Amino acid sequence: MELDYLATVLLSSLSSASILLIATIGLAVVFGLMGVINLAHGEFLMIGAYAALTATQHGIPFVLAIPVAVLVTMAIGAAVEVLIIRRLYGRLFDTMLATWGLSIAFYQLAVLIFGTVTPGIGMPQFSVKIGNYSLAGYPLLMTGVAALAALFVYVLMTRTVYGMKARAAIQMPEMARAIGIESYRVNTLTFAIGCGLAGFAGAVLLPIVPATPSMGFAFVIKAFLTVVVAGPVTLTGSVLTAIGLGGGASVTASFLTSVAGDAFFFLITAFLLWLYPLGITANWRSKM
Amino acid sequence: MNLSVKDHGISALALPAQDRGKVAQEVSRAMSLSEKLYQRAGLIFPILATGGALAAASFIDPYLAYVATSWVIFGLLGLSLDLVWGRGGLLSLGQTAFYGLGGYVGSILAINMAPLTGDTLVWSLPAGAAFGAASAAALGAIIFLARMGPLQATILSYTFTLLLWSLTQSFKVTFGQAVVGGDNGLSNIPGVVLGFGQGTEALGPVEVFVTVVIVSAAIYFLCWWLMNGTFGRVIDCIRIDPQKTELLGYDIRKYQVAIFSLAGAIAGLAGAMFGAWANYLNPSVFSVQEALLVPIYVLVGGLGTLAGAFVGAFAIGGLSYYLGGGAVGGQTTLILGVVLILLVLFLKNGLVGAMGELWRRTLPDPNAAARDAGPVSIDPEVLEGILVEAAERAGPAKRLATVALYKRFGGVIPVNKVTRTFEPGRPYSLIGPNGAGKSSYLKACVGIYMPEAGSVTVGESDATNAPIFERVHQGVGVKNQKPQVFGELTVLENLSIAAFARTGNTQAALDVSRKILAMSGFERQAKVQASALSHGQQQWLDIGMVLCLAPRIVLLDEPAAGMTNEETRELSALVRTLARHTTVIVVEHDMEFVRTLEGHVTVLHQGRVFAEGDIAALRADDRVLDIYLGRREHV
Repeated sequence: MELDYLATVLLSSLSSASILLIATIGLAVVFGLMGVINLAHGEFLMIGAYAALTATQHGIPFVLAIPVAVLVTMAIGAAVEVLIIRRLYGRLFDTMLATWGLSIAFYQLAVLIFGTVTPGIGMPQFSVKIGNYSLAGYPLLMTGVAALAALFVYVLMTRTVYGMKARAAIQMPEMARAIGIESYRVNTLTFAIGCGLAGFAGAVLLPIVPATPSMGFAFVIKAFLTVVVAGPVTLTGSVLTAIGLGGGASVTASFLTSVAGDAFFFLITAFLLWLYPLGITANWRSKM
Repeated sequence: MNLSVKDHGISALALPAQDRGKVAQEVSRAMSLSEKLYQRAGLIFPILATGGALAAASFIDPYLAYVATSWVIFGLLGLSLDLVWGRGGLLSLGQTAFYGLGGYVGSILAINMAPLTGDTLVWSLPAGAAFGAASAAALGAIIFLARMGPLQATILSYTFTLLLWSLTQSFKVTFGQAVVGGDNGLSNIPGVVLGFGQGTEALGPVEVFVTVVIVSAAIYFLCWWLMNGTFGRVIDCIRIDPQKTELLGYDIRKYQVAIFSLAGAIAGLAGAMFGAWANYLNPSVFSVQEALLVPIYVLVGGLGTLAGAFVGAFAIGGLSYYLGGGAVGGQTTLILGVVLILLVLFLKNGLVGAMGELWRRTLPDPNAAARDAGPVSIDPEVLEGILVEAAERAGPAKRLATVALYKRFGGVIPVNKVTRTFEPGRPYSLIGPNGAGKSSYLKACVGIYMPEAGSVTVGESDATNAPIFERVHQGVGVKNQKPQVFGELTVLENLSIAAFARTGNTQAALDVSRKILAMSGFERQAKVQASALSHGQQQWLDIGMVLCLAPRIVLLDEPAAGMTNEETRELSALVRTLARHTTVIVVEHDMEFVRTLEGHVTVLHQGRVFAEGDIAALRADDRVLDIYLGRREHV
């Protein structure tokens, strides 16, 4: 096999892994900092995609449509936290069920508002040539976006006052309250940030994944598996898992079909969970 | 982070545990009719409901019968979730996957075989159940044998459903005369045919309804019987405290795989029945919308009640029927999503649960006797009798030995190369400051912590890598620092489930439990739920459960905590008697108690053996006084 072909496969797998990481990181933040699995994560992604799409249809440039999508999803996320999530703290499976109901309600609302088929937006046209092969540039760009997103979350959690408070609020909620951290407000913000990251993902991936009401379901399979395989050290774990599993699934999918890629992903996940029943980072000392 | 199953807030059982099983018959007090009815509610009302449904079949509109048939089938699907979630404690979002798989396999077989024999159900139902069970067993084996966390298990079951959904969209294959056409689904599934031979006709809607009701009722009563017996009790124990259940010697993974497979079989059978009812299946059985309905049925009816699943399915189905919307209307999805959110937020116990709770309030409180406990009095003769009998069954006392046992958590090393042998004869006490590694050492001995290095020997056999339940089989019995009792079960049930783990015989288990019960001063509390007991009483119950195991090696972690002086003296007598027949190791901070044991004392400090000897010698040791005992009079 030629070197340039291998490089192409490698690069496109890396960009698939990056896309997975972008789609997963909001889920990982909410799980890592609140202990909540948001089963409506995929639908927040979908809301972000539709927000960005609607914005561009109203003449806003795509680059500016992304922050619009982030703000919209953050606002909805904050409302969901106050109305639902807050009432179910400490009840992981009830939270899952409630957000599951939310996910299906959002899906149906999207069908009612936008219909089942919507036009995509054109992919920004530029490509990269490697030897005899040329790759679309935008998906490759996602590698950088994913790295920036991970860096953003890392800095947010470790270098800001909010991050300290958020980590304190999850590790010792009562103690955090006792020393004056308003853990409710911190959690609302955390959930909003998680949803905002989902909205960001939906918007930034819009040129690659067109907005449809059911797009969330397609994304969540891998995103959920990534987070549970990652385990308690969610950020580092998710980055590792996304690169490993997302890249592997992409290689599989490029030789077989995308469904085979999904099946590969599921089986490898089951295997990894067999080896690490509580996630690959369960025994790590670092907590980020 | 601790994401334990116990955290889910809606696990309150509608039927309190004391109402289950044979133990309930052991009451001396005469029960009122209402109490008797209440205890048998899970049997009597479903019988009445089945009878009512069969009677109604003679006059209801055939269309209503046709629609109601689907509610019964959905109720069966809900029952399968209630078994794994309400009783087993695992929220499975994969029940529709087994339902769909069972439906496809059963229907494919029916399409091919029915033309030869006529009858359809003899093919589709067993095939659906078998395939549902097999696929659930495969997924369950991965989840439970690996001891996956509950979150991982739930997500894996959900993604399993989603994966099947995306796989079946593009799946096109032909099995004999059955064409599985991806998105187009599987059509021409024969209806319900019961007679054999060429000329037999498919049943009409009312007869189908009757058939489905009978099959579902049979399955319900089978489940009720199973879940009211010892199997169900063990499943309850696993939900309440999996670690304690394993410490009693149960291989919980086998029970978990079994209940998961049973639920898979029921879901698969329901799917096959659905195929025969609808004559058509498509990949939407694997869809999220379909999967979402199952927990809704269970929550509406009442989690853990078994019958509640049918109540929920009828309530939801009946409501949408009378509101005029079909089960698959345009806005139904939206409404169902919102309904699920509201259910989780506001309805805790479901319809059956709420009614049971109202009814229970009219009955005398079985936990009232908790305030009326008799004194604990250890009768050495009775105890000797139990221990001698235990020695006949389980063999002589065994020694416990560790060689360079080593366990670390990150930078902390609670067990640092401890080499020690414990022999039967006189009690051993482990003392030392907080954080010395006493509890960790016991946990490493019993297998709760797996050591990084060193070895553990039970009797003559190496147990270093054995799972907890195997060590218990070899004769290790443990009471952890925090009393571990099954709060929803009664005192007598707690003891008998422990005794059953050893005897494997219900009657023998009851005999042993009653002896221990009398000794612990619990005669009047036999029917009290363990959660109603005080901390000290729970300590005694936990110790009683360990005694029921007739262990050859007994490890007690702070047994005297929460006990009165009187009780501590009894405990001392108990430990000394035990030590004559078994190997006993006690971790304690109560130095007066340790002194009365007149045994061998080991001081642990920073994970290492610091000093050894009898308590008098240690009191004279300056180093021990410095790190632990101190120099004032309270020693």
